[in-house]
Amino acid sequence: MSSGKSPVPTASSQEEARVPTGAGAAARSSSLARSVATPVALTVLMVALGFAVGGNTLTTLEEVLALVVFATATNLLLGQAGLVSFGQAVFYGIGAYTVGLGWLHWHLSFWLTFFLAPVVSALVAIPVGLVALRARRLYFALSTLAFSELAYQLAESRYDFTQGANGVFGPFVPSVLTDPIKGYLFLLAVTVVSLLLMWKVTRSPFGLVTRAIRENRGRAQALGVNVYRHQLIVFVVSGFFCGLAGAMFVVYSQSAYPELLDWTSSGTPIFMAVIGGMGTFLGPALGAFIYQFGHDELVRYVSDWQLVLGGVLLLIVMFWPDGVLGSLTKVKWSQWRNSLNKGGSDE
Amino acid sequence: MSESSIITNLIGILTTASTLFMVAAGLTLVFGALRLINIAHGSFYMYGAYLATTLAARLGGAGFWVSLVICPLVVAAMGVLVEVLVLRRLYRREHLTQLLATFALLLIFADIALRLWGKSVRSIKAPSALNGHFQFGGAAVPVYDLFVIGVAALVAIGLWALMSRSKLGWRVRAVVDDPEVLAASGTNVPLILTGVFALGAMLAGLSGVVIAPEQAVQPGMDAEIIVAAFIVAVIGGLGSIVGAAIGSLIIGVVETLGAVWTPSWASTFIYALMILVLAIRPWGLFGETER
Amino acid sequence: MMHKNIAIAVAATLLLGPLAACSSSGSSGDGNGSGGGSGRGGSVTIGESTSLSGSIANLGQTGLQGLQLAAADMNASGGLLGKKIKVVSADDNAQPATGASEARSMITKNHAVALFGPVSSAVAAAQEQVAAQYKVPIFFHTSNDVGLMTKTFTPYAFQDVPNTMMEPRAVADYLAKKVGNKQITIATFAPDYSFGHDTVDGFLQALKTLHVNYKLVKQEFPPLGASNISSYLSALVSAHPQYVFNAQYGGDLVAFTKQAAQFGFFKDTTVIAMYAYAPLAALGSSAPAGAIGFDRAPFWEIKTPEMTKFVSEFKAKYGKYPTEWAILAYSAAQEWAYAVKKAGSFDSAKVIKELPGASVPTIIGSMTVRACDHQSEVPEYVGTISGTADPKFGIHLYNDGFTAPFKDISLTCSEVKALQK
Repeated sequence: MSSGKSPVPTASSQEEARVPTGAGAAARSSSLARSVATPVALTVLMVALGFAVGGNTLTTLEEVLALVVFATATNLLLGQAGLVSFGQAVFYGIGAYTVGLGWLHWHLSFWLTFFLAPVVSALVAIPVGLVALRARRLYFALSTLAFSELAYQLAESRYDFTQGANGVFGPFVPSVLTDPIKGYLFLLAVTVVSLLLMWKVTRSPFGLVTRAIRENRGRAQALGVNVYRHQLIVFVVSGFFCGLAGAMFVVYSQSAYPELLDWTSSGTPIFMAVIGGMGTFLGPALGAFIYQFGHDELVRYVSDWQLVLGGVLLLIVMFWPDGVLGSLTKVKWSQWRNSLNKGGSDE
Repeated sequence: MSESSIITNLIGILTTASTLFMVAAGLTLVFGALRLINIAHGSFYMYGAYLATTLAARLGGAGFWVSLVICPLVVAAMGVLVEVLVLRRLYRREHLTQLLATFALLLIFADIALRLWGKSVRSIKAPSALNGHFQFGGAAVPVYDLFVIGVAALVAIGLWALMSRSKLGWRVRAVVDDPEVLAASGTNVPLILTGVFALGAMLAGLSGVVIAPEQAVQPGMDAEIIVAAFIVAVIGGLGSIVGAAIGSLIIGVVETLGAVWTPSWASTFIYALMILVLAIRPWGLFGETER
Repeated sequence: MMHKNIAIAVAATLLLGPLAACSSSGSSGDGNGSGGGSGRGGSVTIGESTSLSGSIANLGQTGLQGLQLAAADMNASGGLLGKKIKVVSADDNAQPATGASEARSMITKNHAVALFGPVSSAVAAAQEQVAAQYKVPIFFHTSNDVGLMTKTFTPYAFQDVPNTMMEPRAVADYLAKKVGNKQITIATFAPDYSFGHDTVDGFLQALKTLHVNYKLVKQEFPPLGASNISSYLSALVSAHPQYVFNAQYGGDLVAFTKQAAQFGFFKDTTVIAMYAYAPLAALGSSAPAGAIGFDRAPFWEIKTPEMTKFVSEFKAKYGKYPTEWAILAYSAAQEWAYAVKKAGSFDSAKVIKELPGASVPTIIGSMTVRACDHQSEVPEYVGTISGTADPKFGIHLYNDGFTAPFKDISLTCSEVKALQK
């Protein structure tokens, strides 16, 4: 009865609708300019921001960048494929542990493990996805949650290998990256590249098919689409970037510990996506900013932080389901102004 | 294994299964009618236990028996409030929305509990009639464990009778299958939904009271139990009371035998088992396939 | 244009979030806190980010109370170097990332001149890094992982609690004296995470060192904070050990004790566990008489006038007797204050120079800070739980209390050096 599909249209699908098909080179080049303008402007802004703020805030910004990638990668499943995974922390944690344990057990270089981390996570995502994707909707959510708890339990109890609850702490990050501004710029570069790659994935024909599966699984299947395979590929791609985010986390935290793998950690990027708007590409990134800065201030100044966090979350899911960006794109200010002038709706 | 060890471990299995079943049954009952997973179910359980410590402190010896009646009712009233004020508005929305809303409620209730009952460990004594143990087959059998097993058995029988032998049970099942027909036949559907949710909350509150004399009542017990109850409900199949019973028994067996034979892996087994079940039957042992 | 709207919204948040965070640093800092102690008047800030929610909240909460009482006492006698001490605190939710970020902002925004430690050892390790990075001293009074002072040792870190090596060693000493050459059967029961495993390993290692003639019949590791341990307990009970070494604490230990008592387990088996004030108070008359308890700082065993005064003050202020977490937090604050007075400054570099080798007067007696690892030379207390409630405190206390001296139970400096690398 209540398993209704999300009627929230994505920003991108609206976008496509408005670009007339076969409008020629002019339209294409202007859309190219537009598609370049936003990332360039945001990157410039972030670089400037890095130099404008200092010290502690810069460290929080580094943390946010890792979470931006984590949340955007989680939203590949959530917003794009319509899959609610409570297990993305598995890949985030594995990314962090790859760097930490690589150093601890085999003295691997940081740079090697940093780029190995997403690969390891993607490899783990294959069997996890093969099992979890046999289920759908709620059961998928719960079985990914089980993987999260399994990973957490293993990290806690196999302490000879993982050092258990104490976690892996040590000087395994090269000193060039422990310098806040250099570390920040490095993470920013990784973030920009990752976001562009994920954007490519969502724009590709493959991304289109996953969205089609989300909208109507039965029809996609009838059209001969291998749903399981498509969803598995998104799952692995998401795992890849979650792992990368985990490795990014290590750059500023210089640690890996079991709580990273916990189901509540899996919930964090979902909150971010919901706050920012999971129907949009940049929504989760925006959500990461809002959540992390809000959370930091909250736990520091409010002793009843759980009450406030729970209250805000409840209000958002009840009354503002599209999130910040989702609501903005829905309103479409210019059209709203036009319709006022004309005295009618142009929808 | 000697005879006395077998008896002792059998009690371990049944007690583990019983405590899990009482919580998971409420969770799965609510899912069966409302198609929603209530993370705040753990809060109801915790409030049942906390309320019992308050009543026992006021009333002394008889406090436990009074708690056993009063606390589940108070928690059921909490359930009514939650259903009417929050969940009722979300039935037509996605599963994710419902999950997040009940998670938000878990956070809110946790903080209120910290306010009301503080952060230290609370505990109540078992009533003297249920204290101690007797010898059976060379093993010590705790009376309280038998009480827990007995309550769980009563809950199981009661739920079975309610769901498959009463008119109400038929209506609850019809709520899922055919709400329009049900409404047309003059049944107050919202009232049934509220009632089922309150009943689920009441079961959680009851299990909280029942475990209070044997366990530490403290912050964090809400989140801890909810993960355990999820596992049971998912293995057994969401929405199935029989599934919850079988799922609890399986967990009891796996955990106890794990603790006997390979202690350092016992707590990991549970999750591995859940994944194994989901890999073979993604909708759980007794669940229905998703439509 | 929708795209522009998105860009503007994102840009606005990107700018406002961090800048708002920045601006708050200007107003919340008290201006003169970070100074090197020059001039009188004003205040100075110390910080504690610890677990104030979840199942270990009681440890964090009472530790924080000890610290706050220490600050209040110092302020009542004119402050430190003429400055009032302000305590800032935050809940780390047992998450290392949260604990680290709180420690950072306490240093950079509140200008905390010293940090006091959390409950969880992973949070402690994360905060130890932050403290070293910003060159601020940090005092661990609850988390006791030996790794903090060996593997990840920094000159800014101090440990004021018997560590994971010392605690089980003290218990083994007590047991060895009790059983002599008799052969005994032992089982272990510990929470399934590093503290539990480390403590159990340390205990068994110590028994070997002491040549105790024992046979290990069962080892169980129930999850930390598990609501239901029936399975693990029945496996333990059916092994019929003479002695059980239990590394659980707080609520987990209370639950274990009540359930094991239902089996009549305490009649034939001697349980050895961290029966400190909090679990004994929660158990009340259900406390297991004859079981062996160990405690890092039981107020009833430390018979100094300073402790008596502290206990009555703590009871008056918080309505309860102090836990070991509160007592050790108070003495950690005394340790820091001692160094500040000696240095005549709040400056970290000067403060940390005063401590190695120093003997600091605290409520638990004179406490020497060992130079090689900044471990305070504190003892561990062991005793057998009495069959009757203490008339004054209303709970079952220890009968033949035994104080295991530091030198008997700690690693030597050369062993420490080898681990520090």
